[in-house]
Amino acid sequence: MSSVCEIRLDDALGEGESVLALAAEQAIGEVRRIEVAYSRYREDSIVSRINAAAGSHEVVGVDDETASLLNFATQLHALSDGLFDITSGVLRRVWDFKAGRVPQPAQLHGVLPLIGWSQVEWDGQTVRLPRAGMEIDFGGFGKEYAADRAMAVLHATGQRHGYVNLGGDIRVLGPRADGSAWRFGIQHPRQPEATIASVELTEGALATSGDYERYFERGGQRYCHILDPHTGQPVNHWAGVSVTAPACVAAGALSTIAMLKGAQALEFLADHQASGLVVDTAMRIVRIGDTPDHCITQGVSA
Amino acid sequence: MAATDTRLPPRSGKAGAIIAAALSLPGVIVPATALADTAPERGEIAIKYLQYQDSQPDLSRIRVRAPSVYVMVPLSPKWSVEGSWVSDTVSGATPRYHTAVSGATRKMSDKRIAEDVKVTRYEERSSYSLSLSHSGENDYQSNAGGLSASFSSDDNNRTWNVGVGYAADRISSTNDPTLHQRKNTVEFMAGVTQAWTANDLVQVNLTFNRGHGYYSDPYKEPDIRPDKRTQSILLTRWNHHFSEMSSTLKSTYRYYHDNFGINAHTVGAEWVQSVGDRWTVTPELRYYTQGAASFYYDPVYDPVVGAPYPPGYFTNPPQFISPDQRLSAFGAITAGLKVALKLSADWTVDVKAERYEQRGSWRLGGQGSPGLEPFRATFIQFGVSTRF
Amino acid sequence: MSTAHDQPLVAGSTPPTTRRALSRLGLALIAAAAGLGGCAMSPPQPWEKGNLALPEMTMGGDALDQRFIQHIYGSKEAASGGYGVGGGGCGCN
Repeated sequence: MSSVCEIRLDDALGEGESVLALAAEQAIGEVRRIEVAYSRYREDSIVSRINAAAGSHEVVGVDDETASLLNFATQLHALSDGLFDITSGVLRRVWDFKAGRVPQPAQLHGVLPLIGWSQVEWDGQTVRLPRAGMEIDFGGFGKEYAADRAMAVLHATGQRHGYVNLGGDIRVLGPRADGSAWRFGIQHPRQPEATIASVELTEGALATSGDYERYFERGGQRYCHILDPHTGQPVNHWAGVSVTAPACVAAGALSTIAMLKGAQALEFLADHQASGLVVDTAMRIVRIGDTPDHCITQGVSA
Repeated sequence: MAATDTRLPPRSGKAGAIIAAALSLPGVIVPATALADTAPERGEIAIKYLQYQDSQPDLSRIRVRAPSVYVMVPLSPKWSVEGSWVSDTVSGATPRYHTAVSGATRKMSDKRIAEDVKVTRYEERSSYSLSLSHSGENDYQSNAGGLSASFSSDDNNRTWNVGVGYAADRISSTNDPTLHQRKNTVEFMAGVTQAWTANDLVQVNLTFNRGHGYYSDPYKEPDIRPDKRTQSILLTRWNHHFSEMSSTLKSTYRYYHDNFGINAHTVGAEWVQSVGDRWTVTPELRYYTQGAASFYYDPVYDPVVGAPYPPGYFTNPPQFISPDQRLSAFGAITAGLKVALKLSADWTVDVKAERYEQRGSWRLGGQGSPGLEPFRATFIQFGVSTRF
Repeated sequence: MSTAHDQPLVAGSTPPTTRRALSRLGLALIAAAAGLGGCAMSPPQPWEKGNLALPEMTMGGDALDQRFIQHIYGSKEAASGGYGVGGGGCGCN
């Protein structure tokens, strides 16, 4: 994980810092476990083994946790009309966000055939990537999943007040010790030091997708890292989408798919009973859903 | 930059498929605890002062002042204990039988003290309680105990309750020092509570009681009642929350039947309305109707012997008989208002006033017992409670 | 959702008061069913239970308030109970 990760616990029962620190350590351990298990960079991770077998006849058996994540990915692929696709990571090879280079059409045509979860042979227990060069990665919901699991570990240790924040993907364990809500700021898409709105939560999760996390601008146009798997091109309708949901994986998936859906995002989010807000490229905010338990206040504050 | 606040209406219906899919990932959601009891996180202390004043025309009757205390302490996530103590001081005359006859208006002052304690053990999908109570006044002692359990479905949307209780009462009389009687009652209750929708809770409870012993009223003459009482009660309750209006409608219906021949219906509704962050206003209405006991007699007296004896009482003595107004056929209406104020996250104060009136003519169907004066009472409560 | 059936009783087999009582019970159950039959039962998902957990949604309500009120009604009316077991009696009936 390359961004800031934070676990915050309130000592409601007066247990003392060492007890809370122990709980936090266990949660951090869970985050690290997930990071290691699903890392593309470690040869022995399940993801690397699946990717290494791409194009061969070898089928890879997976454990229960990975199976449930692959099933989740399948459902997201279907529910997003193919926009959420864990095989789309190969586009990283042709888009260079550090150098700020737009790929040539030939390069895109080279990788687009490697993208498509519907090609993947997943039967609920074993998985095979049929073409050499195909890749899967859990970057689309890995951090959010880790936030949810870390929260579950904290809950299992008896903690009830606090939250887990992994680089802006937040899962709340429970309210502050006095029962009041935690207040989270949503980053302003164009002013890195400012927030554009704030959300108060006593439970549930908040995740944000934006065009400002990794991007470059060329010829007056912004190219961000959220790429449409059908065209290989970045999305450019929304500057940011923030979703609150009972679980962080849900919030993260909804916000990412909303970014990919562009103008159809509002209808998509309403269909999925999502709550939160979207920000367009002119910094206009549209609130989504009905927010009984938490409130969203808008207003730029630096 | 200015932000325009356009908001799309939420779609009604079940939550979206993505949320459902996410929540079926193992270890992502923690079990919710809507219905099934879990040990409360915080304890509570409440003190209430209750005042009751009843009247019948021309004569103010009974005044009761009752301070009471309730404490609930969670001992651990699995155990809690709660208890209450109330002291009623009753002063004034007892309600007259038959009201048409003047007499039996001796001034009376009496004190009743009652305590109860309950211990509850919480498991993941069930809870078990043991309760004990004692009530004492100078002519009546009651000791009772109960065991109850609740069991919830996996999704916590349905909870079954079952309970048994036993009460052993001792009755005496300040009029008659030789009177020493007992009354023992076994109670059995079963019910189910269902989360009908995200905003509705419905409960149905059935209770059966069987008691043996002395049921007559030692202060009334003639008053001979059966030495057995079986009661069947059906209670249904429905709470509906209106989230757009920040209010809840709580309605109840209770049907009662016993071997004295009494059938009674109780219908009640409360509207709990939040006003701002701190105030809650709850108006309520209740209608009660009962038929007369089979051995109740109207205030028609023997022309020769006179009151309080009904015609033919000595020539053809009935097996059971009672002039008690409480066993007559009547209807009663209560209207009340409660106002509560949350002083802080931990402290709440409340005040409630109710007006109660009982009339023969208000019985459902109109066949109320004749010849009885309307009975009216006012109840007022002041309370303060805190969580810790 | 099923509704309660109000079976016709064979004349003479049950005493009039019990028959009246049973038919009243049947009516009550039907009324309750009709009241809720309009809205289909759709038990909430775990994340939809926020409103059910509100204090005003508990069945019992304020403990001292209810105890006192039921005690008063029990001493002024013939019907009592139905809310719980083990409560004990008093010299008012």
